[in-house]
Amino acid sequence: MAKVLEGPGMGLMKKWGINVPNYVVVTSVDELTKLGQANEWLKKSKLVAKAHEALGSRFKLGLVKVDLDFKTAEAATKEMIGRQVGSITVTQVIVSEMIPHKEEYYCAVKSTREGSEILVANCGGIEVESNWERVKRLCLEVGQAPSAESLEKLSKEAGFAGPLAKKMADFAGKMFACFDNEDAQYLEVNPVVVRESDGELVALDAVTLLDGDAKFRHPDWNFAFAAEFGRAYSKNEMEVMAVDSKIKGSVKFIEIPGGDTAMLPAGGGASVYYSDAVVARGGKLANYAEYSGDPPDWAVEVLTEKVCSLPGIKNIIVGGAIANFTDVKKTFGGIINGFRKAKADGKMNNVKIWVRRGGPREKEGLDAMRALKDEGFDINVFDRNTPLTDIVDKALQVK
Amino acid sequence: MSILANKDTRVVIQGGQAGVNAARRMAEFCYLIKRPLNVEAFVYPPDAGKTNEIPYGSGLIAIPVYKTIAEATKNHPSINTSLVYIGADRAMKGGMEALDDAHIKVVSMITEGVPEKDAKLLGAHARKLGKVFNGPSSIGIISAGACRLGVIGGAFDNLVLSKLYREGSFGVITKSGGLSNEIIWICSQFADGITTAIGIGGDAYPGTDYVSYLEMFENDPQTKAVVIVGEMGGDLEERAAEWYGAKKRRVKLIAVVSGFCQESLPKGMKFGHAGAKEGMKGEGSARSKSDALKKAGALVPPTFGALGPAIKDTYEELLKSGQVKAPVEPASLPKLPKTVEEAMKADEVMVAPLIRTTISDDRGDEPCYDGYPASELINKGYEIPHVIGLLWDKRLISKQEAEIIKRIMMLSADHGPCVSGAYATILAACAGIGLSQSVAAGMIMIGPRFGGAVTDAGRFFKYAVDNKMSVDEFLAYMKKNHGPVPGIGHRVKSLRNPDKRVKELVGYVKSLPIKTPCLDFALQVEQVTAAKKDNLILNVDGTMAAVLVDIGFPVDSLNGFFILSRTIGLIGHWVDQKRQESRLIRLFDYLVNYAAPKRREVPPLK
Repeated sequence: MAKVLEGPGMGLMKKWGINVPNYVVVTSVDELTKLGQANEWLKKSKLVAKAHEALGSRFKLGLVKVDLDFKTAEAATKEMIGRQVGSITVTQVIVSEMIPHKEEYYCAVKSTREGSEILVANCGGIEVESNWERVKRLCLEVGQAPSAESLEKLSKEAGFAGPLAKKMADFAGKMFACFDNEDAQYLEVNPVVVRESDGELVALDAVTLLDGDAKFRHPDWNFAFAAEFGRAYSKNEMEVMAVDSKIKGSVKFIEIPGGDTAMLPAGGGASVYYSDAVVARGGKLANYAEYSGDPPDWAVEVLTEKVCSLPGIKNIIVGGAIANFTDVKKTFGGIINGFRKAKADGKMNNVKIWVRRGGPREKEGLDAMRALKDEGFDINVFDRNTPLTDIVDKALQVK
Repeated sequence: MSILANKDTRVVIQGGQAGVNAARRMAEFCYLIKRPLNVEAFVYPPDAGKTNEIPYGSGLIAIPVYKTIAEATKNHPSINTSLVYIGADRAMKGGMEALDDAHIKVVSMITEGVPEKDAKLLGAHARKLGKVFNGPSSIGIISAGACRLGVIGGAFDNLVLSKLYREGSFGVITKSGGLSNEIIWICSQFADGITTAIGIGGDAYPGTDYVSYLEMFENDPQTKAVVIVGEMGGDLEERAAEWYGAKKRRVKLIAVVSGFCQESLPKGMKFGHAGAKEGMKGEGSARSKSDALKKAGALVPPTFGALGPAIKDTYEELLKSGQVKAPVEPASLPKLPKTVEEAMKADEVMVAPLIRTTISDDRGDEPCYDGYPASELINKGYEIPHVIGLLWDKRLISKQEAEIIKRIMMLSADHGPCVSGAYATILAACAGIGLSQSVAAGMIMIGPRFGGAVTDAGRFFKYAVDNKMSVDEFLAYMKKNHGPVPGIGHRVKSLRNPDKRVKELVGYVKSLPIKTPCLDFALQVEQVTAAKKDNLILNVDGTMAAVLVDIGFPVDSLNGFFILSRTIGLIGHWVDQKRQESRLIRLFDYLVNYAAPKRREVPPLK
């Protein structure tokens, strides 16, 4: 899944005929000032300015300012850009037209096993969360498009009447068109509002999750994807992502601040079982990581360096199942190089390493790991005869 | 028995190199269970009409490649299964093509990164047709003792260790390709092994769910228990629990659930929008999956590490109740023949080398020239003439010798477009011939009349010097045995119109504190011959030859200096013609002396 920030998300909705407020995304006040000279609406309308970053609770952090005119919008932009929130620096601000409205509604389309589901409610904003039973659904099979009648039925079920029922049905139809044509996995507008000036429905916000795997058929996806959780990617995470995009196979890395057990397991499935085992034993994860698909050793080396750089770690779990075709000797070669670099940088003091693995060239790979003992590493190596997650038990028992 | 893949499975593989690699793995398994290769055809349009050679034992089997599935199944009507290895952007089209073929009942897609919508469309299409679409991102399907589809099971020794050569009692369904071998191994260590293991694919919405396969396992009497290995997210486990709990099932169900770690991950790692409400009822969480499965009567070990003992308990129960009997291991198993490389590594064979080399070795991280690493030569200031010295004469020449060679190369790199070599290259370039062929055309002009006199000149001057001949003796010897002296004489240069290149080279070499017996002798010869006819001067070939012999290069390498240096010029001429987009050359009539008979009548054929 690939999350898209509000600006490009709104852009996609607009492409499929959904009314969105006028908006601009800027990286500096100068840019906004210039856009103000070219866009009449920026000078005439009431404005909203929001930090355009993958950040949760922007309101609380003061990163959303409403009811602005152009001058105060400039001031708000100036104040927000460059602000440091945790590990994130605000680099973009979205300035949009404020839409005066009274009514707020909800509309979403989500992917299901059979196809998709359109969700509509005649309440919106935070109200929808506390009235979840008011959300009505229309299930669609893959390849099937909703009929005008079924959409209107959905709209009426959700409590819309008269001309508004038709407008909401139409809005939901456009949301589906956007979802289906843009290979989305989740689209949500909350709230959908009635614009006082003309009574049309307008999307005030956009949550957009696209299917990153479908990028090949969307040359117009010229925006970057954002982290799916409520923060931006860190420098180390971005560096591993950059490596991942270049190689055969994969390397993945997500930091979890405050943990003391670092993960360096192989395989998407096994890595979660290893993480589960750490949690089950009361350990604190310092990261999530994974490498698989016989990646080149240099890529595994980069991943290892990042894992070894995690602050305050006591154990590193180099776990893995019996590989199908990932060359154990070769990938361990990358890990060993990473360990040596980290040790040379003084990062491996009081860190215990736990290894369990099988697969092509397992003996050579495990022997190479064992040999690290002679270089002064505190390393414990196990083969396929030790059950997968037992190294976690051993690691977390040691005081 | 087994499900999905059995003794009658006949396969077409859609895709290129990855598919060929899979076929090799499949052939290893067929060899282990002593059955013929189950891959009958490939579909890969770029290679249509060719064959892919798949090693089987110590032999090779040629498997034809077709352009379409229809062609493959027409020629191999027993094909009933397709494995898809096509890239993600074309995978759906290929999968649909296979599903739409009447012969094919099972399509298993190995391709990763297939868009969710495409996978759903393929799954829906298969259900409509009553077929199975497995995957995408499937690691494969393996039925012990019967059939392997894809690379699942790993390397040959792992197949043997996991006892995949004979049937066991445990079915396996896993979303994680990486864990498939682990589970198969566990089933073989803690119990009697597997019937069929299916990699269902790790995508959010795989083409087939656990329930469809559980139904199949339930109907396979050999399968006594099924192990499910899940991944985070989705609701496949809840659906499996629902199926298992719905009525009394014959098979026992063991399931490991993953994703508990999500509960204790920092809040920020979940995204907070109203849609997350969907998960608030608990569906899709590890806790909910685990509870649902336990409630339905499945055995759910608390961690992955506890899976082995759980399988062991189940197996012992089955043994006790007489539902299974302890397996009989075969007396012997086929051994995969080693490749020559593997056998040599194990000191089991000795191979007489086909060729022998004494100058270079590139088996390390970089080439070594006569033992010296190339990069070290560069970093220590050595230059191209030193490389020539190492590769042609196996010695590290001095700075002074290198300077002489450098000058020889520069002076003979090109002598204009009119000499036969350059002319031939230009002619070929104008005819649209490629660089290497055009240069080769020029190069084959190098011979006794053009550039190729260096070796012979060197040989005869050396002969004279070694035998302490006088110039007169030498000239008499040459006249009697060989003809004109190589290295003497020029078509356009003469005493009155001397060759500056020769003067330059001789002047430089004579200025050095080295002995030059050959050059001195050649100059004495020139004195005599030029006195007879003023263009019988020492030419470039002769000068090069004498100097190179004097600094110790073997005579047989001498023409090499001309070939090497002149190649620079020949490449230049080809590029030059290309740059000008020169047209085809046709000789003008007036440049030809038509000495052929005049036009005449053709007599009747007798």
